[in-house]
Amino acid sequence: MSDELLALKDVKKYFGLRGVPWQKAQAVRAVDGVNLVVRKGETLGLVGESGSGKSTLARVATRLLDPTQGRVEIGGKDVTKVKGRRLRPIRRRIQMVFQDPQASLNPRQSVATILSTPFRAQGLRPTRAQLVELLEQVGLAEEHLVRYPHEFSGGQRQRIGIARALSVKPDLLVCDEPVSALDVSVQAQVLNLLADLRDELGLSYVLVAHDLAVVRQVADRIAVMYLGTIVEEGPAAQVYESPAHPYTKALLSAVPVPEPGVSRDRIVLTGDVPTPVNPPSGCPFRTRCYKAEDVCATKRPVLEPVEGSTEHRAACYFPELPTSERTQ
Amino acid sequence: MPDLVWFLIRRLFGALLVMLALSLAVYLIFYAIPADPAHLACGKPCTPDRLEQARHFMQLDQSTLQQYLNFLKGIVAGRTFGDGTAAVHCNAPCFGYSFPLARPVTTLITDRLPITASIALGAAVLWLLFGVSLGVIAALNRGRILDRLAVGVALAGVSTPSFLLGLLAILVFGFWLNMVPVNGYVPLTESPVDWAWHLVTPWIVLAILQAASYIRLTRSQMLEELNLDYITTARAKGAGEARVVLTHGLRGVLVPVITLFGLDLGGLLGGAILTEKVFSMQGLGDLLISAVGQLDVAVVVGVTLFSAFLIILANLVVDIVHGVLDPRVSHG
Amino acid sequence: MAEPVLEVHDLHVTFSTENGPVPAVDGIDFAVAPGQTLAIVGESGSGKSVSSSAVMGLLPSNADVTGEVLLDGRQLAGLPNDELRKIRGNDIAMVFQDALSALNPYYSVGWQVAEAYRLHHDVPKKVARRRAVEMLDKVGIPDAARRADSYPHEFSGGMRQRVVIAMALVNDPRVLIADEPTTALDVTVQAQIMRLLDDVQDEFGTALILISHDLGVVAEVADDVLVMYAGRAAERGTVRDLFFRAAHPYSLGLLGAMPRVDVPPKPRLTTIPGTPPGPGSITTGCPFQPRCAYTHLVGERCITERPELTPRPGEGDHEAACHLGRRPEVIL
Ligand SMILES: Nc1ncnc2c1ncn2[C@@H]1O[C@H](COP(=O)(O)OP(=O)(O)OP(=O)(O)O)[C@@H](O)[C@H]1O
Ligand SMILES: Nc1ncnc2c1ncn2[C@@H]1O[C@H](COP(=O)(O)OP(=O)(O)OP(=O)(O)O)[C@@H](O)[C@H]1O
Ligand code: SF4
Ligand code: SF4
Ligand SMILES: [Mg+2]
Ligand SMILES: [Mg+2]
Repeated sequence: MSDELLALKDVKKYFGLRGVPWQKAQAVRAVDGVNLVVRKGETLGLVGESGSGKSTLARVATRLLDPTQGRVEIGGKDVTKVKGRRLRPIRRRIQMVFQDPQASLNPRQSVATILSTPFRAQGLRPTRAQLVELLEQVGLAEEHLVRYPHEFSGGQRQRIGIARALSVKPDLLVCDEPVSALDVSVQAQVLNLLADLRDELGLSYVLVAHDLAVVRQVADRIAVMYLGTIVEEGPAAQVYESPAHPYTKALLSAVPVPEPGVSRDRIVLTGDVPTPVNPPSGCPFRTRCYKAEDVCATKRPVLEPVEGSTEHRAACYFPELPTSERTQ
Repeated sequence: MPDLVWFLIRRLFGALLVMLALSLAVYLIFYAIPADPAHLACGKPCTPDRLEQARHFMQLDQSTLQQYLNFLKGIVAGRTFGDGTAAVHCNAPCFGYSFPLARPVTTLITDRLPITASIALGAAVLWLLFGVSLGVIAALNRGRILDRLAVGVALAGVSTPSFLLGLLAILVFGFWLNMVPVNGYVPLTESPVDWAWHLVTPWIVLAILQAASYIRLTRSQMLEELNLDYITTARAKGAGEARVVLTHGLRGVLVPVITLFGLDLGGLLGGAILTEKVFSMQGLGDLLISAVGQLDVAVVVGVTLFSAFLIILANLVVDIVHGVLDPRVSHG
Repeated sequence: MAEPVLEVHDLHVTFSTENGPVPAVDGIDFAVAPGQTLAIVGESGSGKSVSSSAVMGLLPSNADVTGEVLLDGRQLAGLPNDELRKIRGNDIAMVFQDALSALNPYYSVGWQVAEAYRLHHDVPKKVARRRAVEMLDKVGIPDAARRADSYPHEFSGGMRQRVVIAMALVNDPRVLIADEPTTALDVTVQAQIMRLLDDVQDEFGTALILISHDLGVVAEVADDVLVMYAGRAAERGTVRDLFFRAAHPYSLGLLGAMPRVDVPPKPRLTTIPGTPPGPGSITTGCPFQPRCAYTHLVGERCITERPELTPRPGEGDHEAACHLGRRPEVIL
């Protein structure tokens, strides 16, 4: 397993809700038992609706948050308990790119300062040539070094965020909604950039996004989250072409397609996502599932290989069959 | 509404603890000052013997802690100083006994409270109405004459010393124009008209001073509020400007205004010191000032604690009103 | 096309700001017929929201609006606010992007829907409330009679958007303007809301102006499309014109930049280099020129002469504002 960059083992992250003295303290089960592996050179797309725990999982994976339970392994080493200084070399290998390029860059720092910060954190001093190279990697130029974030457009700011993450030559970039604040034309630029960087530098990605089309464009493998758990996981082509979990199927069918007249067999889900404070018993999706039966309320289904595939797994008692459900 | 009940119980309990801690602090501070109340009471010439007697009578010869416990006990069960025919009773709730005034502090406070309350409540109604409406008018006319005028009034109000404005008002309306009485207080129960007539000048003076911060707060809050999306929604529904401002805008403005109001009023009820002085009214402020002058520690402690109690109460009321005004606030 | 209910001709909106005039909308035309859906697409800052606010007469006072806004042939632009008020929310209603901030947090949702009704109908509160509940029920709020007393923060995002839609539809408007009604929502909820809007349109024959940057949503629900770029119209036509016969390099670029969920990914997305210009930053020639991959096929004219919407020969009402006479071929 030498090509295993990141592994999450039964990770849970609960947030405490500010309790009232006479009430039992409540926990938001943001991530509730996730197993996930990212291998060298692959792009894992993490999708799911708002509040499903994607960002929380990304933050646990990059060690920005401590898991409530479970293990985080980086390069095969358990780093769950590593703290402070000893965390630095680990941080170097995994960098994070955030959603809001505006908020994640310090407005009072020049681009040069922003790009040098990760070097400094590693006790290094970058040369100007290094900084220029970084900028060129993300499609910016030397002249931009002396400018400040507000002098850039949203897409350019996101490029700066990516350059900053690249500065310490990481193996894995965890991108949390890297394009959701950008316009379509600019979003395409950034997605292409991510693909180019992967080809040039052999980077791996975890791409967190709620836009399923964006994820399909760049991901090799997909993990679908619902209420803090992964309900389906597998190679992108298989998951998109024949989703096995009812939730994935409904989610994919809900995405509108930019081609008039294409009729889609839409499964419109009813009801809302339950609160992660008090998730349903058994299958977390059962309250909205069109296939739910009594057994679904008993025990939470675990990820199991879908018929005819070893890589493609779903957590459902009644998964969709692979052949009959081609979307075409 | 069991949430609210719980909330109240919790808050009252908390308030009690705060009061207890506060009373101890106040007690320690005032009994640490070098003035010896017994000295004042012992009269002249004050022989060591008589001093000792006075001390004993006032229970000052006990340890500070014991004195404090006596004080607490007095609140619950009342106290008796001395014994026999010379004994002085102070019925529960006894917040101390003023030997110079020969009255229990509780009685002193209840005697003076109506005066202070009359001044404070009347002025409060005025400044709230005056401050909020001027603030709203200023916000609606942002940058125009009316706005400048209101902001000017606010600025003047903040920077004018209260006694100056008070004296000026007495001079102009009381002496020169001879329109209103220059001092004195008539109880409401005696003659409501005279009551109001005597209070109108202090009310206005106090209101002008206080309204300033309300004008500014209301104005800035309202300007912020009018930029919110739901205000646009109200306009898009076809609501007229008056409705947009008064029904949709004002609600959000009132929340911080009420907070300030509660605390201001709570503070003022503990004694409007300068106003009472200027208008020669014997309210709580006046009581406190003379007590300080005469080193009447029992009264100082009693009035201070009472003021603190009012502030804590005001906080509680503000929180409840908050919950009523803003459905997003839950009393959990 | 049927007789349009709303027509906009040569709409210009210029904001006067400290940094000089900002021509946010620089001459656009559109029309929508009963039961039809017009989509306005374009990137951030292209003037979509400003155009719709101009139709509603909801722009701030620093906006200078010229052009014609005709509702059933009646000119709205320049009507006194009082007259406009009767039209807002009654004949033309609006749904906003962020339903949480579009709803007033201090009032129950039932009250807010009822208010929208009472603003245009002289009825007792009871009647308005009954109507509100009926409307909430119609947009799919379960247990509407009880939920009407809930406050916005007690609803999920999708439910809130339903409330906003109920509020907009309570007076059976002829035109509904929805400004990014699903951008803040998850796709599964977006599907619910789009279906709801579709049902409503079928039932009431409402004309819908849908502002969106999601070409997927547009392809699904629009009859006609207006593509805006830098405050101007780049292209106008039926939804099929845009998606199958895109005539403007910008539209073509947008289509190529959209990843798709239903087909295997292309190796690379086509991109438009650079970023959209700020309003008024390009004053001569084609505003798209700095980013256009076809300008070399035309030459000087792209820089010197502003292209106007011109009909595409043989394609009905399909128009594009580009000097390139023929359809641009896809360049990768
Ligand atoms: N610091 C925190 N304290 C308490 N609850 C939190 C905290 N951070 C996240 N949560 C809760 O955990 C759950 C998962 O949140 P998370 O941000 O991971 O979701 P997400 O999938 O990234 O959603 P989105 O698509 O909206 O970004 C949510 O219910 C959220 O309210
Ligand atoms: N009150 C205002 N004063 C000055 N400029 C304004 C004002 N309102 C809008 N603008 C400018 O007008 C332009 C068009 O804005 P508009 O909100 O219509 O864009 P949009 O197409 O709706 O974009 P988005 O997709 O981001 O909502 C923007 O450049 C904006 O900065
Ligand atoms: S386990 Fe049951 S409820 Fe859950 S997704 Fe499968 S069928 Fe639906
Ligand atoms: S007019 Fe010229 S610059 Fe503008 S879109 Fe057409 S070809 Fe491009
Ligand atoms: Mg997130
Ligand atoms: Mg907009």
